[in-house]
Amino acid sequence: MGGAIEWKGLSDPVTSQSWRGARFSSAPAPPSRGPLSASPPTRHCAANQEAGSAPARTYGRGREAAWRGRGAEWAGRGRGAASRTGLRGRNAEWRHRCRSLLVRKKRAVFCRARRMCVCPGPRRSGIPIRSSSLPLFSDAMPAPTQLFFPLVRNCELSRIYGTACYCHHKHLCCPSPYLPQSRLRYMPHPAYATFCRPKENWWQYTHGRRYASTPQKFYLTPPQVNSILKANEYSFKVPEFDGKNVSSILGFDSNQLPANAPIEDRRSAATCLQTRGMLLGVFDGHAGCACSQAVSERLFYYIAVSLLPHETLLEIENAVESGRALLPILQWHKHPNDYFSKEASKLYFNSLRTYWQELIDLNTGESTDIDVKEALINAFKRLDNDISLEAQVGDPNSFLNYLVLRVAFSGATACVAHVDGVDLHVANTGDSRAMLGVQEEDGSWSAVTLSNDHNAQNERELERLKLEHPKNEAKSVVKQDRLLGLLMPFRAFGDVKFKWSIDLQKRVIESGPDQLNDNEYTKFIPPNYHTPPYLTAEPEVTYHRLRPQDKFLVLATDGLWETMHRQDVVRIVGEYLTGMHHQQPIAVGGYKVTLGQMHGLLTERRAKMSSVFEDQNAATHLIRHAVGNNEFGAVDHERLSKMLSLPEELARMYRDDITIIVVQFNSHVVGAYQNQE
Amino acid sequence: MFCRWLSIIRRRRASPARRRCSSARGSTSAAEARAAALPAQAQVVICGGGIMGTSVAYHLSKMGWKDVVLLEQGRLAAGSTRFCAGILSTARHLTIEQKMADYSNKLYQQLEQETGIQTGYVRTGSISLAQTQDRLISLKRINSRLNVIGIPSEIISPKKVAELHPLLNVHDLVGALHVPEDAVLSSADVALALASAASQNGVQIYDRTAVLHVMVKKGQVTGVETDKGQIECQYFVNCAGQWAYELGLSNEEPVSIPLHACEHFYLLTRPWETPLQSSTPTIVDPDGRIYIRNWQGGILSGGFEKNPKPIFTEGKNQLEIQNLQEDWDHFEPLLSSLLRRMPELETLEILKLVNCPETFTPDMRCIMGESPAVQGYFVLAGMNSAGLSFGGGAGRYLAEWMVHGYPSENVWELDLKRFGALQSSRTFLRHRVMEVMPLMYDLKVPRWDFQTGRQLRTSPLYDRLDAQGARWMEKHGFERPKYFVPPDKDLLALEQSKTFYKPDWFDIVESEVKCCKEAVCVIDMSSFTKFEITSTGDQALEILQYLFSNDLDVPVGHIVHTGMLNEGGGYENDCSIARLNKRSFFMISPTDQQVHCWAWLKKHMPSDSSLLLEDVTWKYTALNLIGPRAVDVLSELSYAPMTPDHFPSLFCKYALHVYNEVMSVGQKYGIRNAGYYALRSLRIEKFFAFWGQDLNTLTTPLECGRESRVKLEKGMDFIGRHALLQQKQNGVYKRFTMFILDDHDTDLDLWPWWGEPIYRNGQYVGKTTSSAYSYTLERHVCLGFVQNFSDTGEEQVVTADFINRGEYEIDIAGHRFQAKAKLYPFTSLFTHKRRKDDVELSDLHGK
Repeated sequence: MGGAIEWKGLSDPVTSQSWRGARFSSAPAPPSRGPLSASPPTRHCAANQEAGSAPARTYGRGREAAWRGRGAEWAGRGRGAASRTGLRGRNAEWRHRCRSLLVRKKRAVFCRARRMCVCPGPRRSGIPIRSSSLPLFSDAMPAPTQLFFPLVRNCELSRIYGTACYCHHKHLCCPSPYLPQSRLRYMPHPAYATFCRPKENWWQYTHGRRYASTPQKFYLTPPQVNSILKANEYSFKVPEFDGKNVSSILGFDSNQLPANAPIEDRRSAATCLQTRGMLLGVFDGHAGCACSQAVSERLFYYIAVSLLPHETLLEIENAVESGRALLPILQWHKHPNDYFSKEASKLYFNSLRTYWQELIDLNTGESTDIDVKEALINAFKRLDNDISLEAQVGDPNSFLNYLVLRVAFSGATACVAHVDGVDLHVANTGDSRAMLGVQEEDGSWSAVTLSNDHNAQNERELERLKLEHPKNEAKSVVKQDRLLGLLMPFRAFGDVKFKWSIDLQKRVIESGPDQLNDNEYTKFIPPNYHTPPYLTAEPEVTYHRLRPQDKFLVLATDGLWETMHRQDVVRIVGEYLTGMHHQQPIAVGGYKVTLGQMHGLLTERRAKMSSVFEDQNAATHLIRHAVGNNEFGAVDHERLSKMLSLPEELARMYRDDITIIVVQFNSHVVGAYQNQE
Repeated sequence: MFCRWLSIIRRRRASPARRRCSSARGSTSAAEARAAALPAQAQVVICGGGIMGTSVAYHLSKMGWKDVVLLEQGRLAAGSTRFCAGILSTARHLTIEQKMADYSNKLYQQLEQETGIQTGYVRTGSISLAQTQDRLISLKRINSRLNVIGIPSEIISPKKVAELHPLLNVHDLVGALHVPEDAVLSSADVALALASAASQNGVQIYDRTAVLHVMVKKGQVTGVETDKGQIECQYFVNCAGQWAYELGLSNEEPVSIPLHACEHFYLLTRPWETPLQSSTPTIVDPDGRIYIRNWQGGILSGGFEKNPKPIFTEGKNQLEIQNLQEDWDHFEPLLSSLLRRMPELETLEILKLVNCPETFTPDMRCIMGESPAVQGYFVLAGMNSAGLSFGGGAGRYLAEWMVHGYPSENVWELDLKRFGALQSSRTFLRHRVMEVMPLMYDLKVPRWDFQTGRQLRTSPLYDRLDAQGARWMEKHGFERPKYFVPPDKDLLALEQSKTFYKPDWFDIVESEVKCCKEAVCVIDMSSFTKFEITSTGDQALEILQYLFSNDLDVPVGHIVHTGMLNEGGGYENDCSIARLNKRSFFMISPTDQQVHCWAWLKKHMPSDSSLLLEDVTWKYTALNLIGPRAVDVLSELSYAPMTPDHFPSLFCKYALHVYNEVMSVGQKYGIRNAGYYALRSLRIEKFFAFWGQDLNTLTTPLECGRESRVKLEKGMDFIGRHALLQQKQNGVYKRFTMFILDDHDTDLDLWPWWGEPIYRNGQYVGKTTSSAYSYTLERHVCLGFVQNFSDTGEEQVVTADFINRGEYEIDIAGHRFQAKAKLYPFTSLFTHKRRKDDVELSDLHGK
């Protein structure tokens, strides 16, 4: 993970595994979902077998284990041990438990939760138990789960599939033969107002059930909470040379907390090896994770290639041509759960190669200076173009063919920072955000936004959309704050439904694989679809020259920004990083203090301190606050525990996936740059 | 008074300009602090007016060296000495430390009478508490040792503790050690009293005079450069406390003094409602990491926390000096511990939390002695916060060292030369003192290895051996394998493995020993110090014949085991010398001899350019093959017959290659790796004395049955010959003896370590120096020296008859085990397999 890739450009460079981290194969994967489901299935079995009797055993490291164990436990309590099929019961139980906590927030979040309204509301309720979901996991399976696969065989497969495993994810990412049921017809947006009504019925339903089960308080213990929060945390420190860090970046912390299952957010970080600088990005997928996954794998290569000087491009091309070893371009800094798909690597490589070949051809040999801004814009546009083209052309390999279609029909926003010395470029497409933490002279923190959200709250984006389409569409192009009444971000990768002509969409779908054809969502054409494209992946690039007072940069998906104010985000990270939590020292001075009083005071201070020291990772610390903050802005363990123990089918109603990267700058180096000039 | 001083110092330190030249303190009788011009020359210049410097000055002047100048950069007794908590405790782990503390105690007691300066000496006694059985064992060991050197002490029950100290909570105690003659006093006043006495004896004392650096010419101290001018001198004594490291490095020829300061906190309270009596005993609660003494009716309590704060890593630092403030959050665990021990203190009012940096050394022992690099440069520093306890004794030993050339006791454990060059790096010291300071109150168990600052020096085979399960110990900075854990075996975690009983590696070492006896084992002994001495003519042979007691004029290729003796006939080194050719010799000495032996050779060798001494420790990897099949392995490897008479010396260039070859060839002979624990067991059961443990500068070859290795009549004089001749005539006063424990249950009884008292017919006759379990005898074997004290305590001649006609007991933590004494090893046990390699084994100084 994170090693410099080596392109062993033999006769077929792409077959060499090293082009991308080979942590993913299409082998039938165990029936657990997403990067979070790394807990061994044996635990699931245990939980299910011993439902209600030994729940503690199930609280493994993965949050899934905890959820499942508990779900099974409660099902057992409510219905007796026979309720293995009681998913419905579990859900209901859960809703009722979470209700008291969350009822206030529910309505607001519920609509917000679905960036892509095409997928109708009830998708998260009343999920049928599926037993044929096995192949569906093949695209989102992190390596660890594959290791468990042999274990799964030892368990009763049918039981696992029948109870613990189901896919409620109705996107292209995980299409299912069950989709074309009556639930899945297009529900126009106003229906959301009425949509909440069925939930009143749930309320009645669950309310009745309340008396059937023993009311008990359930909390995750602090170590369990920590294991959930820290499951995806990653830290990178820029290595020091000769005892000194000469980079303007000290390092970064990143983390993500899923709400979707599997998580649709992705993150990437890499050091450019042929040029200077470091790339960091967060990607928020919608309608599945396929597109965000592809963008997270590919975008940095496109950017890196765009930044390469002509000679290096030639060198690389010659190496590929003659089958020599390639110069490594990027050194990735990846969490073990951040995987690269192996199957598509050849396809992706070929597209990338075509891109640099064009760059070589286009080069007139005049300008040697590469404009980072231009390079970023080109890379974004080119990748989106390639995604679109690959889907149109298709692939003889049926798996790949399906993959490229899923990538194209799902979507992703991207927020990427390129840091080289004091030059900070932020390229943003969509509604993720880059925020600079600035420490004022008095030590206080202020936030400088380095990106504009591309959504309905941005007047300039509304303006742009209206200008790009005929006047008669002015009312329909943005409805209910959504693009064509459907999509929340106004710029995104993929989402060819908003880019291709109706003809093209129909042609591709018809010639596409059956799974695609069976999918209602893909067939559905947005309303008022007259003058495509409605969507672009072109980023807005912001340049900022770093100053010594710029201490850190927070890149995060909207999951963070909708729960926390940017000022709070910057303050929490700033205080965390500078150790403001070290309280003022005590001095006895001339006061009369007894040993007992002092002891009490010190014990109290230590208790306070320990909560801060729980996190070694700024991103984890931020997520802890984002999820667990009470109305006073302090982390409330009870609340945190409740939020984290939501079953995954409910989690999405109360929060979105959260992905955070906190980049810490090296003020000494930044200051030195400033003094030089 | 105390607080006023504190405030003065704090203010001074805050103003850098005034720090070096602060005004003389009014309350001191400034007689000894002159403002007059410095003398142009003196025999001795002492730097540092703390308790160490004044004690050295005091003892030098007592011994008749009057031409002594003492320089202090600030005021007398204003550094760590001023802040010292003022506890004098003789309950120390090392006998030499106990002796120093005991001497200090006696000296301080009569100091007030001698000088008329009040030192606040009160004999309160001290109580060390044990919360666990293991701690009690540790205290019992100290108790046994204290008793035999004449310091009264006893193990008491918790109930008795409660009687001795009214405020203590004793519910969680299992016992305690009571030393009734321990005392409390003001260390600053002691230093002033010592200074005053010294000054009456002619020592000139100058305060507000800072030493800038020491002038060195040809490896010899010639003078001192101060901010007030130069002083020519023959001897310089560095007693600069926490600045000793910096001062040592300020010379042109740097002297490395490995010590590092840590912040140390203690609490002062206002008086108790009914003020505590001044005779209330001092409490040491090592399990609670605290000490408590009465102080002006209230208490003074500090401790050694688990997370020390090193300070002054980059030398004297204004910022850090200013920041030396109370850190209550840091003190919280100690305060909790204090209130647990004395719950009634809750209502006691706080006066102050004092932050006084203390110096610590890499092995928790103080540093004294002459620099190996600069002659006439002496050091006494690094007291590990026991400066008051050691001050008198350490000052006396150093003064003896300077006046007589050697101290009256064996102080190798405290000798500056025990450290190598790598152990004085600032990073190493910073890391190590963070481990050492908590260790002050940690349980001290046998075979403890430091965890920090490791892998300073490793053998080229380190990775290879590590991969095969080697567990490592460190000696003189060198990593050495202790034993090899087989792949299928797990050992206890570090903390759990602390024991005074049978250790968890017992079976592992047993199989290694067995393999050494029945097949063949390979031990990496690269850490041994290796010197090469060559000359153009016969100078090398001549000088070696003069320095070593055995006859080195042997045929080329032969190896001689010999001692390097001092004038008194004592061992300065015990080594093997191989004659490589007519004019060059290869010398193999114990690992920790690298600095000491080098300094000794350099000092005694003529500065003759035709004579070349080279340290080649780094150049060679040493593999030791042990066992009856070793000859077979070597013969097969070298295609040359190897017999006891014909053993070709082979030097191969590629250590790893040789190791691999040995291992692959040795496979059919059952070869395996072995570590130093196996070697140690083998050497002790063979009654083989080891320098640094059994042998020291005060033991002669005659005292340990090594007459055969001394050639008194080799045709020329050698150092120590005269003393040995005399000893031969008069008889020896102590005899190295081997004891086999009889009624000792290896599984259930406490294991011997070293330093256990030996009783003959119920009378104390000496202490053990090392011990090990002998897998051959299936008994514990202790080695030690037996003395013969008359009824009046005088030493008498020890004869073989005296040894043989006694009934012996070894005291392990208060329990006496019967032991059989032997003066010669059990040859019969080994003869059936005795071959050349067994003889070689005894030549390899396994520890």
